Amino acid sequence: MKKRGVGMGCMWYGVGNTGLPNPAGAHVDILDDGTVLVLTGCADIGQGSDTALAQIAAEEIGVRYEDVRVVSADTGVTPDAGATSASRQTYISGNAVRSAARAAKQLILETAAEMLGVSQEEIIAGDRLLKVRAASGKSQAFTDCQSECRVGLGLDSGSDTREVSIAEVIAKCRMKGKLTLGHGWYNPDTTGLDAETGQGRPYATYAFATQVAEVEVDEDTGEVTVLRVVAAHDVGRAINPRNVEGQIEGGCAIGMGYALMEEIKLQEGNVLNCNFATYLLPTSLDVPEIYPLIVEDPEKTGPFGAKGVGEPALIPTAAAIANAVYDAVGVRITDLPITPDKILAKLKEKQNKGA
Amino acid sequence: MDKIKIQFVLNGETRQVEVEPDLLLIDLLRERLGLTGTKVGCGEGDCGACTVLLNGKNVNSCLLLAARVNGCEVVTVEGLGSYDKLHPLQEAFIAEGAVQCGFCTPGMLLSAKSLLDVNARPTREEIARHIAGNLCRCTGYTKIINAIEKVACADRHCACSREAEEGR
Amino acid sequence: MSEFKVVGQSVPKADALDKVIGRAKFAADISFPGMLYAKALRSPVAHGILQHIDYSAAAALPGVAAVLTGKDVPGANNFGIIIKDEPVIVKNGEKIRKIGDTLALVAAENEAIAEQALALIKVDIEELTPVLCPIAAMQPDAPKIYDKGNVLAVRKIVKGDTEAGFRDSAVVVQQQYKTQMVEHAYIEPEAGIALFDGDVVTMWVSTQNPHYDAKEVARNLNIGLNKVRVIQAATGGGFGGKLDVSVQVHLAMLAVVTRRPVRMVYSRTESIKNSVKRHPYTITMKTGADANGRLTAFECTIIGDTGAYASYGPGTLTRSAVHATGPYEIPNVKITAYTVYTNNPQAGAMRGFGVPQVAFAHEAQMDMLAEKVGISPLEIRLLNALRPGSLTATGQYLEQSVGIVSTLEAAAAKVREIKLERRGGRL
Ligand code: FES
Ligand code: FES
Repeated sequence: MKKRGVGMGCMWYGVGNTGLPNPAGAHVDILDDGTVLVLTGCADIGQGSDTALAQIAAEEIGVRYEDVRVVSADTGVTPDAGATSASRQTYISGNAVRSAARAAKQLILETAAEMLGVSQEEIIAGDRLLKVRAASGKSQAFTDCQSECRVGLGLDSGSDTREVSIAEVIAKCRMKGKLTLGHGWYNPDTTGLDAETGQGRPYATYAFATQVAEVEVDEDTGEVTVLRVVAAHDVGRAINPRNVEGQIEGGCAIGMGYALMEEIKLQEGNVLNCNFATYLLPTSLDVPEIYPLIVEDPEKTGPFGAKGVGEPALIPTAAAIANAVYDAVGVRITDLPITPDKILAKLKEKQNKGA
Repeated sequence: MDKIKIQFVLNGETRQVEVEPDLLLIDLLRERLGLTGTKVGCGEGDCGACTVLLNGKNVNSCLLLAARVNGCEVVTVEGLGSYDKLHPLQEAFIAEGAVQCGFCTPGMLLSAKSLLDVNARPTREEIARHIAGNLCRCTGYTKIINAIEKVACADRHCACSREAEEGR
Repeated sequence: MSEFKVVGQSVPKADALDKVIGRAKFAADISFPGMLYAKALRSPVAHGILQHIDYSAAAALPGVAAVLTGKDVPGANNFGIIIKDEPVIVKNGEKIRKIGDTLALVAAENEAIAEQALALIKVDIEELTPVLCPIAAMQPDAPKIYDKGNVLAVRKIVKGDTEAGFRDSAVVVQQQYKTQMVEHAYIEPEAGIALFDGDVVTMWVSTQNPHYDAKEVARNLNIGLNKVRVIQAATGGGFGGKLDVSVQVHLAMLAVVTRRPVRMVYSRTESIKNSVKRHPYTITMKTGADANGRLTAFECTIIGDTGAYASYGPGTLTRSAVHATGPYEIPNVKITAYTVYTNNPQAGAMRGFGVPQVAFAHEAQMDMLAEKVGISPLEIRLLNALRPGSLTATGQYLEQSVGIVSTLEAAAAKVREIKLERRGGRL
């Protein structure tokens, strides 16, 4: 008989290397036409760091996503950003890129402030424009003075210039011999752990998640089918929600393989199942319906509040599936993977006890 | 080893090449003709990364002798669409987030095309079944299936079954 | 409306266009005129001493450009992200610690010749008893894989007084859990291509950490770090398995010796046999709670099989220890984690880094406790979840961005909406 069950799994995951310095660096160059080049050592292995870092740079500088090109992971060109591991790149390289972008933007703001005749704090950037904040107390006298200023700078007096384009500001910068380059780096705030008690601050921030799995267990064959997985992840801030969902869905699939199918078989240290015919991965027919839920509890020290999601995505899946199997048929498998053999053996044991 | 002369249509162009009898199609494409869009994930027919279309059908080019395509039509990812003119599947893969590392992508695209060419309006389950030989370790397949379904729906101007599903 | 313009938008992935048209260059897609193909001869035994290697026949084979053995490594001849214990090529008289250790490298005009050459190399290995189980490896009389002993690292976390905590518990559950070794199985096998222009070694490689790769190349070739340029090619997944060095140092050496471009691409079997794996763990957990289900004490022992080389093993075990409690506040905690060398394939970083293993265990414990106390899985988690103001097992004060409760609530709401029904009662 087939029986359904539902189980829950939670996790937390410290972002970055454990209790160790793990800095990342970045360079940002705002080019003559207002487009942006980001140089970062961060290796994009498909998870989407080039995209997230471009979004972070665009947001910080006030240009569009398509204005930013990320050149990544070339030791001849890019600064070290550490490993793409520990779910650290959005948080750590994200902060590095953001601070490099801020440094480059600072140079633009100085010139823009002159051009707009306001203080830097009164300028907001976005969509390729630098605008005077609506609430700015810029008086008429100030505006007049500013037009004079513009004439002085060789621009048209611009009747009421409340904004300039980034490209215009860059042109001005270049006229003054100013390049708009920024460098930045970030190292998360951690401490080492005490050798005897492990006390300390291993990570600057943690990601959290709850997953709930629904399974169907065939009591006759021991086979487990995962039907649905709800996966709620606190990522701080989703820089790119679709890509975050992609991480969650992919993580659930690997987590499902871990729970039910995958195992390296060794004989005297030799891997026996060393191809995809014998080491089975989840296929499109195996993966359940996944409901990714993005929860945003912004991290103060994260770039725009972001933490990370790469690894968290798969951590609670096996746990949730194991608990769901128990809910379905009342047996707890304590060694992974949860294979039909193990379920049948436990079911039999349970029956014998009952008899 | 005596070489064999073969003629076949590759991405719409007639090609004549001389091949060793034991040369695999994947090696002809990648190493001789420089079409590296087709990938090798296993070389043993287990992953689908090397999928190309042979007379419209999805096949693993790592298992196929090059000589076997004599007189046939072969389509690789390079023939599906280009930078200027993307195939709707390519557009949908980008728009739906179906690409992560992208190593399975060329094979996935061609498997998807071979399905839509014979079944313009497959169900999600039919899509999943059709691409079951194409392994993806990154995406969990959801967004790949979404992308294929999106093209299927666009083709028919039909109400997307996914929307219907979401509403259930 | 969002306070941001670009952040929070699902913009198309930067690399997607190149990938859908087949233009993205993965390392195996890159070639240069005059390129050589590299292959490695790997140890067939798990534990032994390389006594002698005779490659004269291989070197004499037409089409072979170079055969390198341990004596040809100009620099340190070791690598490893945390502990440099893995040889680039095992030297004569030195130890073999796993099946797959590199004994020689060949570069040839094509792959077939390279394979032929490998078959012509004769090795003489003195076999030693392999150590295959981490628990056996910890025994004082176990054969030593390293002179310093088989225990690579021990991590301890102690907070409060667990004895007192268990004394005050109304319910206690204790269980042993085991997790298996698994493979990353990125669909792109390891690959790279290297060039040497007489001054700088440049390589394109499938990697998660090019700057680390460059350091290992420089140390092992004994050249300046500024003379090594590692460029990450499009990388077909990694999941932690491409954090370690695979083809990098081998390719650099062959490119320098032959002065020709050299490419090395693993077969799937080579990839699975030689890449790092997820650590198999044996975990014992004991968790206590009061009559309401509030956690009182937690003890945990973890033994991880790290295989022949350290790789990310010590880091993985530290992370497991730190996360073993799960996202819950527990006043009394005692955790001991051991990373142990064996002659199995080395375990390293894999997506989750030692946390999926402990999560499997701590989440079973939570459900068992909830059942004993008579509350639901959601209730026991909500009751104990970390919150702003909580102290973790390592004594870290959590100030903000502690979203576990929000994820529990979000998941529970979705479960109600899509009507997932728990057989055992409320979620
Ligand atoms: S490479 Fe052909 S099926 Fe894997
Ligand atoms: S996107 Fe990486 S394997 Fe499919």
